[in-house]
Amino acid sequence: MNSSLTRAALVEAPDDLDELIEFFHARRWSDGLPIVPPTRERVARMLSGTTKKPDDVIAKIAPGFGEATVERIAINAVMAGCRVDYLPLLIAASQAMSDPQFNLQGIQATTNPVAVWLLVNGPIAEQLGVNGGMNCLGQGTVANATLGRALRLIMQNIGGALPGDMDRATHGQPGKFSFCCAENEAQSPWEALHIERGFTREQSTVTVIAAAGTHNLNTHADNADELIKVIADTMAFPASNDYWIGGEPWLVLGPQHAAILAAGGLGKFDVKRRLWEESKLSAGRLCAKELSRTQSARGAALGTITSETMLTVAQKAEDIGIVVAGGPGTHTVYVASFGDARAVTKVIGLV
Amino acid sequence: MTVVSNAFIGLGKAQARALGHAALPLAVIPHPFGSRSRDEVRALAEQCVAEIARLAAEK
Repeated sequence: MNSSLTRAALVEAPDDLDELIEFFHARRWSDGLPIVPPTRERVARMLSGTTKKPDDVIAKIAPGFGEATVERIAINAVMAGCRVDYLPLLIAASQAMSDPQFNLQGIQATTNPVAVWLLVNGPIAEQLGVNGGMNCLGQGTVANATLGRALRLIMQNIGGALPGDMDRATHGQPGKFSFCCAENEAQSPWEALHIERGFTREQSTVTVIAAAGTHNLNTHADNADELIKVIADTMAFPASNDYWIGGEPWLVLGPQHAAILAAGGLGKFDVKRRLWEESKLSAGRLCAKELSRTQSARGAALGTITSETMLTVAQKAEDIGIVVAGGPGTHTVYVASFGDARAVTKVIGLV
Repeated sequence: MTVVSNAFIGLGKAQARALGHAALPLAVIPHPFGSRSRDEVRALAEQCVAEIARLAAEK
């Protein structure tokens, strides 16, 4: 994309930190938490994390379609508390979420509680310290906390999706503060997500996913058949966008659960196929209006849909996303999707 | 012009401003929209069509 003609404006702000934080809150430039002041010096230091020019336009961010220049991304990265070497990942993530198949317009402006989940693969995860192990979706890791936060600030400050204005979320969800982790590639019995999506083991990637929330599955199932059944049953709930649209739900399999499935002779695609088959939901469990809009959304693909129809959670088994992450324990996380969005993976460029 | 349900008026106005069309006429229909049956949508369309046509004809 061509360079923007403009650089970010300099704004005079209070020297006192408490006053400065309130200054940012008053202008709705924060997510409600205190920010790191994006001084000229800090932004310049952040920009040293890339060889790209500050006014290079990386993407236009819906719904306001503000230009995400490298400099503007860097400013939000500073505000979120990111380290300098995180910048290339945020540049790639900004590119990824502006891909039309991600449907950022819908994600930003919907009443649904959609967070953008950043999933990191490849060597950069270890280099940056992105946690894919214990508590990877929780607190306590700088990279996970600040990368997701920076992306949210980019979506809000560059994309213009302020809550209650262009962000029309009915409730939102805590993942809208930050939702970022790595895949636990070392403990996965299968190929990592980026390899599955056509990249090499040595490449580093970030995948953006439209996540409607996290639902924990604590199950002591100790064989593949039982585990598939429990997960599939949990995926099938009538108020899920995935069933009426034909979505792209995700599973964050704990390493113990992944090992059980692999020990049962299942490859990653076998798991997808089994889940797709066994998570079918009777359309009779939908309310009448849901059944009507399911007919509108999926009738062309499925033909006449009646209360007897068994609906799949996704259009194709391949559309079920599977990654392995987390630490020891009998847990897997189900991530229902926004439905009308598809994950996008981008290579994280060299600095 | 564009058609917007009343829950999304703010979004419609803000997005129109962001895209450089602050004066974009908005035809407002009741919310919710997505869960209505085809018959309900047809009835709504009949109620709104005159206003939509008027706004579309504005210069």
